[in-house]
Amino acid sequence: MGPMGAGQQAGQATGLPFAGIPPEYADQIDALLVDEEEIPIPDLPFEHVEPDRKPFTLRSFLLPHWLSFTWAAFLIGLDALALNIGPWLLQLGIDEGVWKKDFVTLQLIVLAYFGAIVASLVVSRQRILFTGKLGQRLMNALRIKLFTHLQRLSLDFYSRERAGRIMTRMTSDIPAMEQLIQEGVVNLAMQVATLLVVTGFLITMNVRLTLVVLIGIVPAMVIMTLWFRRESTHRYAAVRERIADVLADLQESLSGVRIVAMHRRENYNVRRHRAVVDDYRESNLSAARVSSIYGPGADFVGAFGQIVVLVVGGWMVLAGEISVGKVSAFVLYINTFFAPIQQLVQLHTVYQQGQAAAKKLRDVFHAQPSVAEAPEAPPLAPIEGEIEFDHVTFGYDDDRMVLRDLSFSVRPGETFALVGETGAGKSTVAKLVTRFYDPQQGSVRVDGCDLRGVQLDSLRRQLGVVPQEPFLFAGSIRENLAFARPHASDEEVLSACQAVGIDELIERLPQGIDTPCHERGVTLSSGERQLLALVRAFLAQPRVLILDEATSSLDLKTESMVEHALDTLLEGRSAILIAHRLSTAMRADRIGVIQGGRLIEMGSHDELIAQGGSYAGLFNTWLRHGGSVAEPSA
Amino acid sequence: MVTEAERVYGASDPKYRNASAPPPRAWVDRDSNKGWFRRLMPVLAAHRVLIALSLLAGLLVAAFGAVIPRLVMNAIDVALDKQAADIGFYGWLLGGIALVRFGTSMGFRYGMQKASQELEYDLRAGIYQHLLTLSFGFYDRAQTGQLISRANADIRAVQMFLIFAPLMSMTLVTFVAALGIMLSINPLLTLVAMIPIPGVYWVGHQMRGKLFPMSWLIQARLADVATIVEENVTGVRVVKSFAAERQQLGLLGRASERLRWITLKQVRIRSFFAPVMENLPRIGRALVLLYGGWLAIGGQITIGALVAINMYMIGLQAPFRVIGFLMIMSQRAAASAQRIYAIFDERSEVEEREGAVDLPIERGHVVFEQVSFGYGAAPNVIEDLSLTIEAGESVAVVGRTGSGKSTLIRLLPRFYDVRSGTVMIDGVDVRDATLESLRTRIGLVLDEPFLFSESIHANIAYARPDATREQVAEAAALADAHEFIEELPEGYDTIVGERGYTLSGGQRQRIAIARTLLVDPKLLILDDATSSVDVHVEQQIHRALMRLVEGRTTIVIAHRLSTIALANRVVLLEEGRIVADGTHEELLRTTPAYAEVLTRAAEAGSTQLETELASGVGSEDLLEDVPQAGRMTPGLGRPEKAS
Repeated sequence: MGPMGAGQQAGQATGLPFAGIPPEYADQIDALLVDEEEIPIPDLPFEHVEPDRKPFTLRSFLLPHWLSFTWAAFLIGLDALALNIGPWLLQLGIDEGVWKKDFVTLQLIVLAYFGAIVASLVVSRQRILFTGKLGQRLMNALRIKLFTHLQRLSLDFYSRERAGRIMTRMTSDIPAMEQLIQEGVVNLAMQVATLLVVTGFLITMNVRLTLVVLIGIVPAMVIMTLWFRRESTHRYAAVRERIADVLADLQESLSGVRIVAMHRRENYNVRRHRAVVDDYRESNLSAARVSSIYGPGADFVGAFGQIVVLVVGGWMVLAGEISVGKVSAFVLYINTFFAPIQQLVQLHTVYQQGQAAAKKLRDVFHAQPSVAEAPEAPPLAPIEGEIEFDHVTFGYDDDRMVLRDLSFSVRPGETFALVGETGAGKSTVAKLVTRFYDPQQGSVRVDGCDLRGVQLDSLRRQLGVVPQEPFLFAGSIRENLAFARPHASDEEVLSACQAVGIDELIERLPQGIDTPCHERGVTLSSGERQLLALVRAFLAQPRVLILDEATSSLDLKTESMVEHALDTLLEGRSAILIAHRLSTAMRADRIGVIQGGRLIEMGSHDELIAQGGSYAGLFNTWLRHGGSVAEPSA
Repeated sequence: MVTEAERVYGASDPKYRNASAPPPRAWVDRDSNKGWFRRLMPVLAAHRVLIALSLLAGLLVAAFGAVIPRLVMNAIDVALDKQAADIGFYGWLLGGIALVRFGTSMGFRYGMQKASQELEYDLRAGIYQHLLTLSFGFYDRAQTGQLISRANADIRAVQMFLIFAPLMSMTLVTFVAALGIMLSINPLLTLVAMIPIPGVYWVGHQMRGKLFPMSWLIQARLADVATIVEENVTGVRVVKSFAAERQQLGLLGRASERLRWITLKQVRIRSFFAPVMENLPRIGRALVLLYGGWLAIGGQITIGALVAINMYMIGLQAPFRVIGFLMIMSQRAAASAQRIYAIFDERSEVEEREGAVDLPIERGHVVFEQVSFGYGAAPNVIEDLSLTIEAGESVAVVGRTGSGKSTLIRLLPRFYDVRSGTVMIDGVDVRDATLESLRTRIGLVLDEPFLFSESIHANIAYARPDATREQVAEAAALADAHEFIEELPEGYDTIVGERGYTLSGGQRQRIAIARTLLVDPKLLILDDATSSVDVHVEQQIHRALMRLVEGRTTIVIAHRLSTIALANRVVLLEEGRIVADGTHEELLRTTPAYAEVLTRAAEAGSTQLETELASGVGSEDLLEDVPQAGRMTPGLGRPEKAS
């Protein structure tokens, strides 16, 4: 079953609506797909350190392909020649055939005409194929380059930028670049080639009349184009900005649509979206005003050119300097001379949009990961699991520290719990261990190695994080579970499910483990999602496990089951448990209490209770509020 | 006097210049049996004056365009060949026509662009408005990436087509006018010139048939790429913590490769047809040179006529070329329009009945009567469930993960409709009440707090954008959020990043609670709303909630005793059925399954801690806090052995 059926395209594979392809076309599309090979997942290189950090420009992107572009230019030149020989042949026909009443010569000329048509058929086909392939190769490379860079960027980038705007880079800007290259660059070359070919023909016919055309008309066109360029650049940039706003607003509304419905904000949001769309419309109209002057203006200059040729050529005919045939050919060529320039109008738009897109892409490429892998950083050897915070001070903003001079260490194999109030900085600790962020002062070490000195992948592969709000990807449950180890065997996946106790849940699902998770797993409860995230971490077999309030949405029974599973998993592994449920925390070997970014107490459950400090206070409150406990088994 | 704009956006937000942008002037035709263009007619009709004027200007442009070659013919024959008139006269005449044509052409183009932009506005504003009316069932199935792609690329494709279609039809008018003039010059020669026309049509038709299905596939694969990017942006933490960047890159690489494959297939088809389309008209020109030349040698036509016919044919070559382009565009537009209509055709599964009443929810008496419900086509999650909640009562719904607790409460504000049975509030079937009245008076705090990329103030005031600072601060204080908000650098004006990532889970949850408290709901539903806050904060929130619970009907979904303590009655759910109903103690006594859900490790025997608990350390505090709650027994009795 190599080829993919239409039914497997897009979201349809996951049973979602709007996979796009209506059933009535399914047959035709299946027929199309018959010869598609199963495309394997390519093994693309990924480095956290960007290999070359040249700024991204259109030029630097296209330059390495100059050889291909040269060949394309050659094909284009040939194509332009074959296509534009017509009026010249007509002039020959009029002057040598009609004027001299020589029908045989006329027939030969027409024969040549047919020859040109055949040549054009062959060359055009080659040109379209070649440039099409080239364009797709470039776009494929660009998509991968962009995505690679996005993957490289640190979390601060993602919390700063709206998802909708980041998406726009891929969904709007790359297509704009594609248009620029596919239609823009190729067409530009085609039009320039046409201009050159036609000018060549004109010069061979009459130099003086050619000069009239070039001096009298071309400058007018150039001036108009320059004006248009000046006026339109910022307008098209504004259009791109505005459409990004529209999409960002749409994206957020759709992500939060349940909240919108719950709070009856529909009317308000609709009005706001209208305002954003209206801004977009305004910016478009502003651009339209300029382009609707330029287009007809170019037409006018073209018509004006014909008139000048006709009148000046007419005077030259009267003076006997030129044949009527040649003047006719000139008139006809003015059409083909200005058609390219009219085309260039549209190209200019494409070019502007492509440039604007390139600038946006450049901005993304320009953003550098704040957590950068040191060049030449060695991979982190398999770790024992000793984690050390050494006088760590950290804040997401420089003026607001979340952790202050925090020092503690987790011994290999130890389970260490962090408790403290909401906002005390517990989750931040987890983010520093995984090196989502770097501390402003002090250092975080694993097995004595400063995290900043080792390869990110080698570090993160050995850590397993279970976040509080698990994210599920579209795709099957199985794909989500085996996220860290896509090649895990079915037995491994199933035994991990059993360990966490979701085997029953999975059996209940219509397609078992292959049931698709809908977007963000909305059809699963948050507790179920947490369980899936736990299985995901189980399967990853990390050396150090970090549970960031990972069981907060579970009912007590499920949680206790999970904790038993954890006991097995944690054997021989270090773990950091971030918990607000003390029942979870008290099972740990040691407990640290964080307050205001500082560690205020540390010790085993019994020690801390005996101390009668802050932990003991928390514990008592919790007990009063019905916390039920089993004997700490750890 | 506060204007609408100020009320909605705040007077100082210059970002939205036009806060009172109009509603869409028309909707697409609802009749899905009509063709895509006919369904668009109402929207086009809304701008008929603009379109009509533009088309009129377009007609003039076309007419002038058709006349020019005929005049050039006269100029060549009369002024140059026969030298019977001054060439300068023709120069002035043609120049005047060109100038008028310039003016009308400007009007035509701007008019058409304006019309198409207005239409795009109507579609965008309309689709957004429509999307917000759709029910949760739709969003459970739909992918945001796909929807955005429709609302963007597809609307754009339709709009582009509507700019180009009139331009094309004007060239068609030019074509007809030119044909008339050519026929008057020499009918037979005109026929020879027109020989390739049927060929152009036929080849175009073939090309269309091949390319049409492809455009669907290309769109679908573009959306696939977009989906991967979207997921990697929203799920960036998961990707990074499992060091799955490379693996995800591989997935994108494959999606991109599949997109390339189909695009290249399209290129191959184009490379076959496009040169044919381009060259067919040139066959006509070669034949005209042959036959026209022969006629001219015989003196049957003038050289000027030969030139004019050639001018017409060159002029018509562009339309020929764009006929192909237009065909592709119309395919794209048709495909895109269908996808847009698919959204418009989507009906909310939860619709307001004709004559729905405004339900005041004065008492908050809730009845579930033999309710069954399941998502989409999936089996029932709630099975023949009956439950009555008296006015002012607070009920905890307890059950294992997946037992249908969250589903149950989502039936109250009609996020979903029951499959059978009825849900009644104050004796009124919720399906007979307006959605507005249900949702404004039922306050629901979800377990996953979603915050918008706006200020904290705006997030809390989400349901009541006109709330004052004080009201917002009050609600925040009730949810125990005021303090930490004040500590933020910009206080209530702090913009919380997308999905509120800069705040901790507990902080977001408290903002979400404040958001609900601000509307002062008559019926309060807490879907495990305090799961992500620590005990300390939970206690504070509960204290706040206690005040709220008093006197209003409350349903809490609870996993913990502390949350159950908010309620004076407990309902135990198992696989969508109520298996026990009563006070906490009653259930503990009578229903082993209840204790089992609440207890932790089954094998745990009596421990030192439990002994402590059984002796009721500090339970007085709790009881003070929970005046209505049944007496709590923190020790929970003997845990059951796991079976």
